[in-house]
Amino acid sequence: MTVLDLPSARQEAWRWSDMEALRAAAASPQAPAGINPADLFLDIDGPRLCFVDGVFEPAHSRPGPVEVTRQIAATDHPLGSLAIGEGWALHLGAEHAATCIQIVHLGTGGENHVPARILLADDAVATLVETFAGTGWANRLTAIALGKGARLMRSVRLVQTGGFVSIRDEAEIGEAASLVSIFLGAGGMGSRIDGALTLTGKGAFAEMGGALLTSGTQRQEAAVAVRHEQIEGTSRQIWRAVAADQSVASLAARVEVARGAQQTDGEQSLRGLLLQRTATVNLKPELEIFADDVKCAHGATVGELDRNALFYLQSRGIGEAQAKALLTHAFVTDALARIGEEPVREAFAADAAAWLEAAL
Amino acid sequence: MATKNAEALAAANKKYEWGFASDVEQELAPKGLSEDTVRYISAKKNEPAWMLDWRLKAFRLWQTLEAPDWAKLNVPPIDYQDAYYYAEPKQKKTIASLDELDPEIRRTYEKLGIPIEEQKVLAGVEGSRKIAVDAVFDSVSVATTFRAELKAAGVIFLSISEAIREYPELVQKWLGRVVPQRDNYFATLNSAVFSDGTFVYVPEGVRCPMELSTYFRINAENTGQFERTLIVADKGAYVSYLEGCTAPMRDENQLHAAVVELVALDDAEIKYSTVQNWYPGDENGKGGIYNFVTKRALCQGRNSKVSWTQVETGSAITWKYPSCVLAGENSVGEFYSVAVTNNRQQADTGTKMIHLGKGSRSTIVSKGISAGHSDNTYRGLVRVAASAENVRNFTQCDSLLLGDQCGAHTVPYIEVKNPSAQIEHEATTSKISDDQLFYALQRGLDQEAAVALIVNGFAREVLQQLPMEFAVEAQKLLGISLEGSVG
Repeated sequence: MTVLDLPSARQEAWRWSDMEALRAAAASPQAPAGINPADLFLDIDGPRLCFVDGVFEPAHSRPGPVEVTRQIAATDHPLGSLAIGEGWALHLGAEHAATCIQIVHLGTGGENHVPARILLADDAVATLVETFAGTGWANRLTAIALGKGARLMRSVRLVQTGGFVSIRDEAEIGEAASLVSIFLGAGGMGSRIDGALTLTGKGAFAEMGGALLTSGTQRQEAAVAVRHEQIEGTSRQIWRAVAADQSVASLAARVEVARGAQQTDGEQSLRGLLLQRTATVNLKPELEIFADDVKCAHGATVGELDRNALFYLQSRGIGEAQAKALLTHAFVTDALARIGEEPVREAFAADAAAWLEAAL
Repeated sequence: MATKNAEALAAANKKYEWGFASDVEQELAPKGLSEDTVRYISAKKNEPAWMLDWRLKAFRLWQTLEAPDWAKLNVPPIDYQDAYYYAEPKQKKTIASLDELDPEIRRTYEKLGIPIEEQKVLAGVEGSRKIAVDAVFDSVSVATTFRAELKAAGVIFLSISEAIREYPELVQKWLGRVVPQRDNYFATLNSAVFSDGTFVYVPEGVRCPMELSTYFRINAENTGQFERTLIVADKGAYVSYLEGCTAPMRDENQLHAAVVELVALDDAEIKYSTVQNWYPGDENGKGGIYNFVTKRALCQGRNSKVSWTQVETGSAITWKYPSCVLAGENSVGEFYSVAVTNNRQQADTGTKMIHLGKGSRSTIVSKGISAGHSDNTYRGLVRVAASAENVRNFTQCDSLLLGDQCGAHTVPYIEVKNPSAQIEHEATTSKISDDQLFYALQRGLDQEAAVALIVNGFAREVLQQLPMEFAVEAQKLLGISLEGSVG
């Protein structure tokens, strides 16, 4: 990879990005991570895949329906198009289900690229949990195609101690199909979560959201575009950002409604919380609408914790620090509540709680 | 149905009432843009050497810049060499009274529909309501009224070229302070070739005794208009300034790249209202003005306040973000906007509120109305610096879509570095509901009147901010701009 290939902050879609951190991560030397990949799996039955520095690790895996194959990236996304090589693919036939597939990505330094493809035929159901740990630059491209009535629930947590994680999702969601992707950025790495979800069928549902927690001089960013091409589609983008120290958390979410995509219901809720005055939260809730019978609303707020709520808790005998922690926790939980399986949701909440405990 | 068609046709024909061209003898600068053009303009204006140097510096800088492309606009390439950068109505020297004005220009004012009150003002009728008017015709300011009375109050209200000659220190002190030469492509171009515009200085403690107003008119073919407005309100001063603009209907596109700079010192207040009605082109998007304008206010003093109100109905392409730099403690910025696009018009407009001062507050209310095949984008930035404690911002941007071939877009940027800031952003997109329309129809209104009524209601919060004369004009404009777009 040459440095010249990276987008620059002069480009509108990358103005809040931290490509310096990405470069540094890509150039970092490999060193043993000291983490046993087995410890990164949640204690749930189901297929497991482990990639160490982008290389499939059979010892810690039992892939089940997931195939490990080489893939060619079919995207013009500047980072996504770099994800070429060995990756994984999940193809589910009609009315098949594969639940709780866990994928662990462990990095020890340098750069690694893994492409992935998820194809769900009509009425197929899958749930997927991905964990990013270690360090280095992890670059992922995930292409998703959902047939009529198919459902995919995906939860991704970024808990690398350093380095950079870049994720590019490209999804096509068919008639009455549903895609829910929830992200939690609770590690020390920089990140860029990039999504392009297209609702290609009537009455499709798309949700992409999550929480970015930043501290130190870290910068995390999500940039998601949801495009409604057919009628009666619904989309939700619920993002929360908590920034401490000198960190920067940025959320850019866009809803596009194509001409003729009537009765679209699009909702965006972007909220930022600043823990110190040296931190920064950037928000950009964007609407692009070409149809006249749609319901699109977006809300965006930035600020500190609600003083009234804080006072209420204190009046009930809860100490200030604890009250703050409680409210901040509630603020973050909003975005994680959509995770379907309880053990996964609890694991994510625990990661968030650990982060908050360290930051508050 | 036949009558309806006839009505619609009639409406289409009268759509742009200001599309006439006045047959005034013009003196044009040589076509094209070079250092010589800049020198020509400067010499024409009898400018001091420092001004010429300033222009040349801007011109050299401009040659190194590239036109911005981040806006959601489809701008055909502009040939900057295929235009005149200076057009002056001939035989005009300094005008002592309006009678000496070219009768053709006066007829133009009548046709422009400058409100009767202001026509009286222009005609100097005793006892009429006082609004001081400066009219800029192509590149030159042709008439400034009520100068003596304003002078008695200490208010300086001049065309900017006169101000450069008569108050060089004041102009030199503030010109380019708010919008620096290197600010952006179009502002830099303007700095090099600006021809005329308005200069206002309101001294300490003075409440400007009347509303100030400027009419801008592009008349000559193939010309660009580059006016520059500079308003300085000293401590405790107040001024309300109105701006209107029109142009003839022509098949080619004309460029309008203005720069407006406002400065408010301690406790000062500036209210700036615009009704922008440049020729928007015909229904197929042929012709029309490119309106690429940089407007910015610096609220430098404590408790200073700047309020922008704009009604944007004209121009083929609008690229305009009236902004406030809220540097003073407890300073206030307001932005009220109605932007209407119809046919093939494109508008990318909004505001920037840069909060630097403690306790600064801003309000943004933007109403976008799109019809026909047009695109209407709100683009806004609210930025809170780390040192700005207790900042408050409220943003509301609503879009109304008339028809299913148009687009409404919202691109708000929020960048916050201080936890005590309270920033809220709300947006909605809707169409005129069938219920509302049905209700108005069954009360005896026809379709067009019903739509106009509902649209005016939608834009009410903004129209309320306009001075009376402008509010009436703006309401009519809204109706005319949307004629034939529904039903």
